[in-house]
Amino acid sequence: MSRKAETSGTRLACLTVPLFPLAARLRSEPELIREALAILEGNGQAARVIAATRAARAAGVRPGQSLPQARALCPKLAVRPRDAISERAAEEALIEVADAFSPRVESAGDGTVFLDLEGLPQTASLRGAATTATTEPDGLERALGRDLAAAADAAGLPARVGIASSKLAARVAAGLPGSPVIVPAGEEAAFLAPLPLARLAPEVDLSATLERWGVRSIGDFARLPPAEVASRLGRSGSELHTVARGLDPRPLVPREPPPCFEEGMSLEWPLATIEPFLFIGRAALERLTRRLEGAGLACLRLELDLTLEPEGNLRRSIELPAPSRDVKTLLSLIRLDLEANPPGAPVIGFVFRSHPDRPREAQLSLLGPAALSPDRLAATLARLFALLGPERVGSPRPIDGHRPERAGLVAFAPPPPPLVTERAAARQGRGLLGVRALRPPLPLEVITEGPTPNGSPSTASNPATDRPIEVRPMVASGGEDAARRLEIRGGVRVAAGPWALEEGWWTDDPADREYWDVELFGGSVYRLFRDRTTGDWFADGIYD
Amino acid sequence: MLHAVRTAYYDSPDEIPEIPANEALRVPMGPRALPQDLRERMRSARELLGKAERELLPTGLPVFDRLLDGGLPRGELVEVVGGRSSGRFSLVLEVLAAATRSGEAAALIDLGDHLDPARAEAAGADLARLLWVRPRTVEQALAATEMLLGAGFSLAVVDLGLPPVRGGRGIEAGWLRLARAAAARSAALLVSAPYRASGTAAAAVVELDRGNARWLRSGASPVLLAGLGGRLALEKRRGGAAGRSAEIAWRSAECLAPPAPEAQPARFFERPRLAASA
Repeated sequence: MSRKAETSGTRLACLTVPLFPLAARLRSEPELIREALAILEGNGQAARVIAATRAARAAGVRPGQSLPQARALCPKLAVRPRDAISERAAEEALIEVADAFSPRVESAGDGTVFLDLEGLPQTASLRGAATTATTEPDGLERALGRDLAAAADAAGLPARVGIASSKLAARVAAGLPGSPVIVPAGEEAAFLAPLPLARLAPEVDLSATLERWGVRSIGDFARLPPAEVASRLGRSGSELHTVARGLDPRPLVPREPPPCFEEGMSLEWPLATIEPFLFIGRAALERLTRRLEGAGLACLRLELDLTLEPEGNLRRSIELPAPSRDVKTLLSLIRLDLEANPPGAPVIGFVFRSHPDRPREAQLSLLGPAALSPDRLAATLARLFALLGPERVGSPRPIDGHRPERAGLVAFAPPPPPLVTERAAARQGRGLLGVRALRPPLPLEVITEGPTPNGSPSTASNPATDRPIEVRPMVASGGEDAARRLEIRGGVRVAAGPWALEEGWWTDDPADREYWDVELFGGSVYRLFRDRTTGDWFADGIYD
Repeated sequence: MLHAVRTAYYDSPDEIPEIPANEALRVPMGPRALPQDLRERMRSARELLGKAERELLPTGLPVFDRLLDGGLPRGELVEVVGGRSSGRFSLVLEVLAAATRSGEAAALIDLGDHLDPARAEAAGADLARLLWVRPRTVEQALAATEMLLGAGFSLAVVDLGLPPVRGGRGIEAGWLRLARAAAARSAALLVSAPYRASGTAAAAVVELDRGNARWLRSGASPVLLAGLGGRLALEKRRGGAAGRSAEIAWRSAECLAPPAPEAQPARFFERPRLAASA
C-alpha cells in the first residue's frame, strides 16, 4: 500500500495564531491592541523585536530590529518582553478551542494546533452549512474552518485555519491569505508544488545545497527521485522530500487533556499592595473561569503561584467547599488568604492554577419548594468559609456516644427538594423541650446537701449527700474573659438525678459523669454534671 | 390551540368546558374597574392582591401559628425575645424542623454555638437540609445571614444565644438590611434574642415568658423533668393588632410520646386518564 493511500482518508485542520507572542500578550492586556506595541526577546543590547502590532508595523517596526532602531522609527512605541506565562495560557486556550471541535488534537507549540476532522464536516452540515455545501465541493470544511476561527476569536486569539490531508499541507494552507484555505484530498502535492521552498522551513545548510542544485520551489524538489535524495541529503533530506510530495511522515499524536487549568502573567513592575494585584488578577480569573465554563467544569481548588522580587516563589492553595466559577468569590478568597499571610515581598508575576471538578447541577422545580442554585450555594459557602473558617460552617450531625456537647459537621449538600407528589403532609410539631448545649461545659461551684466522706471526691454516687442545693460561678481566673462568660447562680428549688454517664473508659478521653437536672429559684432549669474522677461540677446545658 | 389542549386533557368531549372566545375581554381590568373610593387610595388592584396573599411558613406549633395568623410570614423579619428557660430555643428547633421536613433548605446562624444535633433530629429536623453557621460576633452573624438570604435559603434563623451577647444588639442598619434581603427573596427570617435587638426592622415581635418547670414524681423513683411551661405574647405586629397572648407547653424527651409513623405521601396531582380512543 502506498503512503498516499495510507493518508488519503485523514483530514486535518491546522489552527495557527500568527505573531503568537504578540497575540498572547494582547490577550492578557487587551487595552494595548490599538497601541504601537512591540514584543522583545532577549536582554539588554541583545533584545530584538520579534512581533509588533499593526500600528507599530505601519511606522516601520520590523522583527529583528533592536529597541533603539524601533524607537527611532516609532517614538511612542510601547514595549513588552516575551511572556512565557501568557503564552502558555494562550496555548492552552487555543488547544481548548480545538478540543471543543475534535477529541483528537495535537499541539505543535507556538500557537499552532492540529485537529483530526474525522466525521466533523458531517456534523457541520447539521448546523446549517448544507446550503453552502451544495454549491461548493469543500463547503462543509470551509464552514467548519470559519467556525474554528470564530471560536478562537472568542477566546481572544486571532487564528487562521488550513485544512488538508497532511499536517504540513494544512500548516502551509493556514499560513496563506484567505483563511480558511482548503486543500482537497489527494491534491496536497499539487498545492505545495508552486510554493517557494522556504515554506517547508528546511534547515539552512540543506536550503543552500538545494539552491545550488537549482531547486527553487517545493514542486522542483518533489520531482527529484526519492532514492537519490536519500543517498545525497541523508535522513533529514529524505523526510523533507516526503513532505514535499504531500505525504505526512509523522501521524497526528493526540494530547492528553491537562489535569488543571492555568492563567497568569509576568508583570511589568513589581506590585507591593493587594489592590492593584487583585485588579490584574480579576482579568486572569475571568479568563480562567471562561475556559472552565467552556470545558463544562468549575474550580474546586485554586493554586496561586507568586513570583517575588528580587527572587523567590510563593505557592498558596485555596480549597473551595464546592466547585465554583464565581470570580467574585475566588477573588475574595485570594484577598483573604493574602491578607492573612502576606507574601513579604513585591510580586512580579503570578499564575492561577485551577484544579477542576464537575459543577453541581440541580433541576429546579416549578411546583415544589425552590432548590438552592448549586452555583450560588457554592459561592456563598466559599464566602462563609472565608469569613468564619471551614470548621464553623456545615451541616450538623450527631456523633455516636452520649456526651451531649459533642457535635459533628459535614459538608452542606442538601438533597433536592421532594417532588410535589412525594411531599409528606404538614405535620404538627412535637413540642419537644430544647436544650442549649454549653460548649465547653461551664465550670461551677456547687454546694451539695452533705460533705463527701473524708472531704475527698467520692467515686460512688450517694443521692442523699450529692444533691445540689446551691450553684455559684467559679471564681474568675481571667478578668476580661470572665466578664464575657455566662453566669449561673442561685439556690436550687428542685434537683432531679443523678443519672450516670460512663463512656470511653478505654480511651485517652474518658467521661465518667453524674448528671442532675436542677431548677433554680429564679426559674431557669439547667443540666449539671459532676465529673466523678475529679469531683468538679459543670453545667453543659440549659433547658430553653 | 386551547381547544386542542383541552381535548387532550379531558376524557370525553362532553367534559370540555365551553368558554366563549370573547369572555376574557369582558372581564374588567385595571384601576378603572375599582370602585371610586378605592381608586383614590390605590394605584392598582395588584396592591390588594399582595396584601391578601401573604405567604406563610407554618411552624407546626398551633399556638405560635395562630399568634402570627398562620405561620412565619415570608419576606419579613420576626423576632422572638425571651430569657433563659423561656422556650425560645425549643421554638427555634421546631421552626427549623417544620421547614426542613417540608423539603426546604434552612440555615441556623448560631451565635452561642448551642445546637445539639441529636436534639434537633429528635425535634424532627432533617439535618441534611440544615446549614449550621457558628459566627463569633453579632457583626459576623449579620454578614453571614445576608449572604445566606442572598443564596436563596427560604428560612434563616438567627439565634443570638444568651447574654452577654458578643456584639450586643448589632447595628440597626444591619438588621434593616437583613429585613430588606428577606423581603427581596421572600425568605422567612426569624431572630431569636434574649432582648430586643432588631429594632424597627422587625415586622412582628413575640415575647416569651418563662412559666413553671413541671416535674414528675412517682413513688420512690427519682424526680423527672417533664417539661416547661411558658407564655407567648405578640408585642408588635406591623399592619395588624398586637397584644394577643397564649400559653405554650414544652415536654421533655423522656415524657414525650414516640413520634407518629411517617404519614403516607400526599398525592396532590393525578395525571388525567385519557380515553382509550384518544
